[in-house]
Amino acid sequence: MENIGKVSHWVFHLGDTRLVVNSTTLVMTWVVIGLVLAFALIATRGRAMVPGPWQQLAEFLVQTFRELVSEALGEAYEERYFPLICALFIFLLFCNWVGVFPGMEEPTKDINTTLGLGIMGFFIAHGTAIKAKGLKQYLKEYFEPMFFLMPLNVVGEVAKVISISFRLFGNVLGGSIIIIVVTHLVYGLLLPPFLYGFFALFVGTVQAFVFTMLTLVYISVQIR
Amino acid sequence: MAVEIAGADIVRAAAMLGAGIAMGIGAFGPGLGEGIAAAKACEAIGRNPREAGLLTRTMLVGQAVAESTGIYSLVVALLLIFVV
Repeated sequence: MENIGKVSHWVFHLGDTRLVVNSTTLVMTWVVIGLVLAFALIATRGRAMVPGPWQQLAEFLVQTFRELVSEALGEAYEERYFPLICALFIFLLFCNWVGVFPGMEEPTKDINTTLGLGIMGFFIAHGTAIKAKGLKQYLKEYFEPMFFLMPLNVVGEVAKVISISFRLFGNVLGGSIIIIVVTHLVYGLLLPPFLYGFFALFVGTVQAFVFTMLTLVYISVQIR
Repeated sequence: MAVEIAGADIVRAAAMLGAGIAMGIGAFGPGLGEGIAAAKACEAIGRNPREAGLLTRTMLVGQAVAESTGIYSLVVALLLIFVV
């Protein structure tokens, strides 16, 4: 119960500047990267015409997301954006699932991870828009339908980043707090596995999918 | 024995109360909205069962977007509890 609001820090001093690093998030992100790499290595080792279970799983994931991306962006952009979208989903999925193992914490429980991914999506979407439509047309769209609505449009774009990253962060953090509180209340008897099943596995999957889909939708809105 | 109540205690109590109210009222709207979305998706699947996969996917994304105000109130409640 006591460790709900606690964040562990590493503090570095570089001259006058003070660098604070959230150590748990950093280490767990490395663990997640390692898990994703291990999954990729297992899935691609001994590839065959008749796939084994791991290869089948990986092929299913890749196939599903390839179809989703080509539906949303069209054939022309599929090759370029499919790796990003698929990698984002797999990374977030492993991030949300890693909390199931005892002693591990989700990197997405830290606002810095989700906000970083959200800002990445924002810059990719707007970079795509500038490339696809040209800078002039891109800037012109901010002044539509009326020129004085420009601040509103800018705020609308920034609010997308806030909402997408706070949604993932709030869901994961809220789920983990409910798990901690209920586990404490029932002295760890009976209920916690089901709570992990719901909050970590189900909600984690849905939220990873939603984050990925929304990033995809933001990109596709910008190139239309 | 008279118990001293300092200003900080009142602020703490108000923050806790505010967290409860924020969560209670904030969860009302998203719950209603998600219920409506699920009901409409059920209707649509009943009318057109072959599109069930697409409808479920769209429903989940829509519900997750509708949920964001609830998540904001959760974040506000957490800030009130742990930061104030």
